[in-house]
Amino acid sequence: MRPRGLKSAMADLFEAPAAEAPAARHPAPPPSAAVSPPPPPQKEAARARSRHLWYAVVFPALGEPQSPAGILERLCLHAQRFTPWVSIDPPNALLLEIRGSVKLFGSLAALHADIDAVWSGLRLRAQSSTAPSTLAALWLARAGQKALIEDPGLLAGRLAKLPVACTSWENSRLSTLRTMGVNRIGELMRLPRAGIARRFGSGAVLDLDIALARQAAPRRAFAARERFRERCDFETEVETVAYIQKALEPLIERCARFLRERQAGVQALELKLRHRTEPVTRVRLGLASVTGNPLRLADVSMQKLSRLELAAPILSLELLSGRLQPLSPDSIDVFACLGGTDGRDTAPQLVERLRARLGEQAVYGICPVPEHRPEAAWQRVQVLQADDASRRGRPHRRADAPEMPRPVWLLNEPAKLRDEDVEQLHRGCSMLEEGPERIESGWWDGKDVARDYYIVRQAGGARLWIFQERRSQCWYVHGVFA
Amino acid sequence: MPREALTLADILADARVWKLSLSSWDASAGQRLSSSRPVWSTGRDALDARLPGGGWPTASLIEVLLDEPGLGEVQLFLPALVQSQRVEGETPWLVWIAPPHEPFAPALAQHGIDLDRLLVVRPVSATEALWAAEQALGSGVCAAVLLWLKGTDDRWLRRLKLAAEAGGALGIFFRPERHRFESSPAALRLLLTRGNEYPRLDILKVQGGRPGPVEFESSLSAASS
Repeated sequence: MRPRGLKSAMADLFEAPAAEAPAARHPAPPPSAAVSPPPPPQKEAARARSRHLWYAVVFPALGEPQSPAGILERLCLHAQRFTPWVSIDPPNALLLEIRGSVKLFGSLAALHADIDAVWSGLRLRAQSSTAPSTLAALWLARAGQKALIEDPGLLAGRLAKLPVACTSWENSRLSTLRTMGVNRIGELMRLPRAGIARRFGSGAVLDLDIALARQAAPRRAFAARERFRERCDFETEVETVAYIQKALEPLIERCARFLRERQAGVQALELKLRHRTEPVTRVRLGLASVTGNPLRLADVSMQKLSRLELAAPILSLELLSGRLQPLSPDSIDVFACLGGTDGRDTAPQLVERLRARLGEQAVYGICPVPEHRPEAAWQRVQVLQADDASRRGRPHRRADAPEMPRPVWLLNEPAKLRDEDVEQLHRGCSMLEEGPERIESGWWDGKDVARDYYIVRQAGGARLWIFQERRSQCWYVHGVFA
Repeated sequence: MPREALTLADILADARVWKLSLSSWDASAGQRLSSSRPVWSTGRDALDARLPGGGWPTASLIEVLLDEPGLGEVQLFLPALVQSQRVEGETPWLVWIAPPHEPFAPALAQHGIDLDRLLVVRPVSATEALWAAEQALGSGVCAAVLLWLKGTDDRWLRRLKLAAEAGGALGIFFRPERHRFESSPAALRLLLTRGNEYPRLDILKVQGGRPGPVEFESSLSAASS
């Protein structure tokens, strides 16, 4: 067998249905291809390129901004019945590579009709076309022509009659073309290439080459988002938690394997417990960081289940993963499978275990907020920077220290001092150590304060942070130097 | 960290390890290991002098008896907590369980605590609090666990002591003074009361040291700030 020409072999490589091809509309054009003279119409190369056959469908109703999000993704799932290689052309078109499917469906006409039947079954207005190149199919579909072209040699003739507007180029380019008197693609194709490239950029020439199947234009195949979802049915109704735990173990194990195979992790799992009559009990298994570690998943689920009070016996349980998230490089532990972490926990594990039993809100971090009012100068942090990766390289930060020391304890509400305490204060039984520090701030949000803060040491030794409200002249305790 | 010191001791204890100049090395190593159970300085010389090793012990329990907050009970430990977070290579966590008020973040930042490594836990019941303390102490990621208790039984405290030893963490728990005459597994028991001018600190029990009152030249809470 004679080896095929190097050029056609290269074209094969370049056009191989690669899912990792860039998603851009004009992915990685060879820089010289744009303005260089058109590739010679080699018969062999043309046949090699026509290996692909693109079915394009345009949904005119979906272009509007008010159309629901994610609908093209859902239509992709319908289209994947016909070919594994479906790609989205925003805002309102899909491209299906159907060369391999033609034989399965009998003929191109039959396949084309079958795919069209899907859209009409969904009551969607659709314009479709099939051509050996992506852009030709799209342009024909946008023009509303139902073409079934298999031979790349026929493309030029069919495209020539289309209006320029169906290229959906940007408006400035289209209006320039109109003023030049170019209304049909055929008129555009007759213009010199170098002139088009100079006037409209190399993108226009590249588009024409792609449409005429002279230039390869790989598309990224749509991949549906994956979730883990598995269900376990019991033969009889179950109410003992220990039994449920036992049944959950293999599900967790399979979920962890599912995650490991995809190099992914989850931030939360959901457990659905179905009863005979009562509504489904949902248990959220929250994790402190993205993980796919079976030990951590099992740990959290056991803690949650052991605290669970069942309203009724359950019939089945189902484990669902949330959105899969890529693992950060630090969370992939190469040696984890060999010996584990010699029985010691990691910080996220500790946080997870505490949260699973005590509740999400009961475990939190605190951080200072640059704000003068003490009650607004701190806040709770629910998302903990548990992994070391996010901290590495960050210098140890000391907050800008206010001049006067701040107390370790801050009372939730300032406690008003009784009259006799104020009397003591004035008589000098309590020592005034520092002050006053005036804090006057917050006029912009209605919680403005005007206070003079003092540090006071009581006779016994306790130190308090007190303030005098400037308007009412009342005294309050706001903090304790513990 | 205590863990590393123990690893070294284990290696030295291994019969297969060939040691040069056996007699002199053994003497120095043995002495170093017994006295160098790592300690964290309290930041006050008067107190350091009274504690074996010259500071707060690690991997054990400290009990503080006091009836009202505000006598400088947290400031007593803040220098050690800051020190414990500055260990080279890793930053261990601090866990505060059931504090009587909200820990004020700017104040802790002022003292130099790494707030990214501080966890506040608010359990609903005393048992939950003890459980959380046991988990945190035994996890091996915490340098110190501070626990505020209303009252507890001896059994739970012994569990905490075991967890602290296993996890290499310092457990500090605060209890009202009425528990003074109960037995306690803590290595160190302190009593904080109101004094004439400044709060008064008494060492009730100290393993390897002498109990008695500690004299300070200034207020506890003012000393470090």
